[in-house]
Amino acid sequence: MNIVLDNVVKKFKRGKGLRKHYITACDHVSFTIEQGELFGLLGPNGAGKTTLVRCIATLLIPDEGKITIFGKDIIYQSMEARQQIGLLTSGERTLYWKLTGKDNLKFFAALYGLAGKERDKRIDYLMELLDLKDVESERVEKYSSGMKQKISLARALLHDPKILLLDEPTLGLDPQFSRFIRGFIKDELVGKGGKTVLLTTHYMDEADELCERIAFINKGKIVNIKSPAEYKDEIPHTEVLELRCQGNVNEEKLRTALSSIKSVEKVSLINKENDLALKVIASRVESILSDVIELVRGEAKILAIDVKEPTLEDVFIYLTGTSLKEDTREEQPDALE
Amino acid sequence: MRWNRLKADLAIIGAEIRKTAKIWFAYKILMFFWAIFPLIWVIPYLFQGKALVGGMSSAPFAQLTGTENYMAFVLIGAMVSTYIFSGLWGVGNSLREETYWGTLEYIIASPTSLLVVLIGKTLAEFLYATVMVIFQATLATFFFGIDITFGKIFPLMMIIVLLVIGFYGFAIAFAGFTLLIKEVHGWVHTLEWVFFLFSPIRYPVEVNAITKLVSAFVPLTYALVAIRAIILLNKSVINLWQILLILGVMDIILIAGGYILFNRLEYRTKKAGTMSQY
Repeated sequence: MNIVLDNVVKKFKRGKGLRKHYITACDHVSFTIEQGELFGLLGPNGAGKTTLVRCIATLLIPDEGKITIFGKDIIYQSMEARQQIGLLTSGERTLYWKLTGKDNLKFFAALYGLAGKERDKRIDYLMELLDLKDVESERVEKYSSGMKQKISLARALLHDPKILLLDEPTLGLDPQFSRFIRGFIKDELVGKGGKTVLLTTHYMDEADELCERIAFINKGKIVNIKSPAEYKDEIPHTEVLELRCQGNVNEEKLRTALSSIKSVEKVSLINKENDLALKVIASRVESILSDVIELVRGEAKILAIDVKEPTLEDVFIYLTGTSLKEDTREEQPDALE
Repeated sequence: MRWNRLKADLAIIGAEIRKTAKIWFAYKILMFFWAIFPLIWVIPYLFQGKALVGGMSSAPFAQLTGTENYMAFVLIGAMVSTYIFSGLWGVGNSLREETYWGTLEYIIASPTSLLVVLIGKTLAEFLYATVMVIFQATLATFFFGIDITFGKIFPLMMIIVLLVIGFYGFAIAFAGFTLLIKEVHGWVHTLEWVFFLFSPIRYPVEVNAITKLVSAFVPLTYALVAIRAIILLNKSVINLWQILLILGVMDIILIAGGYILFNRLEYRTKKAGTMSQY
């Protein structure tokens, strides 16, 4: 087993003085990832995905539990564990913008013990592989978001690690670069390279397309771990009614009213400035359609209605009652304890 | 095995120095300003002194310092303090800069100690400050008539190295502190004024009993006394062995303290989960 998490707990302090309290970002998380596996962590923003990745990458120290990488404890044998890990996070600001792409890679190569011809050969190979050769001598500040992410990916691969931790790698990228990164993960890293990949995402399509197994995570807890196909079998003979509406609604009242309709199994409601995305999971949509429309029409203007086969996101709603598009983040940890 | 680790650490330090230099050269005008600012900053004090005593020398000043040359006294203070302030800003602020650039997490996630990277940053800062001071010393020699002969360079560098070893130990602990507090400017400004008040950068601390007492705990005091003794009083290093010994002891305390504090602060930041916060 490449990565083993055993009862990992991570809490963050919030507030000061009498308002001081702790929130649990990871709540007794346990799972293992096998060699060559592409394992997904799927959950909404604030579910605890990044906290887990940071713990595995040795950037955070868990409060309880144990994490091992190839049997090396990430706290007591952190240097050995880090040597096996390549890290890629989302966001443009992870590189030295005043340096060229190549100079960025040279600096990080030194941190991984690469030098001289071996380093230059590796950088050249990665630049070719990621189609960055033409821009290697330009400052990173001139790169597009996608090119910056490619350089970050090259950095993660500099030392040819056995494990890759990819935290929302396609977040904020345009579709073309997202497609490239996804293809690269699947074909190059796992297919040809045989790497073990832990991918966190809140894009269900990404998880569905890439991952062999997916852990659903919500509010710091692992809800379930299965393959995408097994997840979809969780809610057989079920349909999903999707409505897009506009209006100032009482969310709780509408949710309760919809949930009380017979054969409705789960309701998800996301309200962004009176733009409402409603999902109703039911065993037979046909039988509830008129009731749902009547209830919603009393509260908001219906713009579109659609009936779909359940997706991974619907399974997530079915299991957790939370949509992947929701933001469940709490405020940042306090800087000074 | 140990030799390989040392070789790898030296390569990291070299890479850090090259990276820092390349980023500096991206801001060429800023480099020029930092080179001349320490000298410009002291000009008002020179004029102030001139206005007070009607010239560049006074008997009470000579009595306190052993030299009548007030201008040289202040300019030497300005040049040596370049090491201190570049250390505070450069080393103390360096991890905050890495956080701002978003690169700190990638350094920490690599199989290298953050301390090795910080040593690279301190050496880069030392080289940078040395270039600045050479530039300042050239200006001071040409425009203010300060006499730094070739033979004095080695003993001066020896004292400066003794000063910065300890001081950068303190700056490393300060860098760890900034990881936790996420604020640098206010602290650096406060420390700057502590140094200005309690070490003889711009005035002889002997003028006041409290400043004299507190300055005895500041390594910069000993370094400035020794450097001025070499430049202005033509003393040799052998005459200054007691000062060198004190600086050496202070180095050991500050390096050991800096190392312990930094490790504790890094651990605490990782525990608090605030490493990547800006």
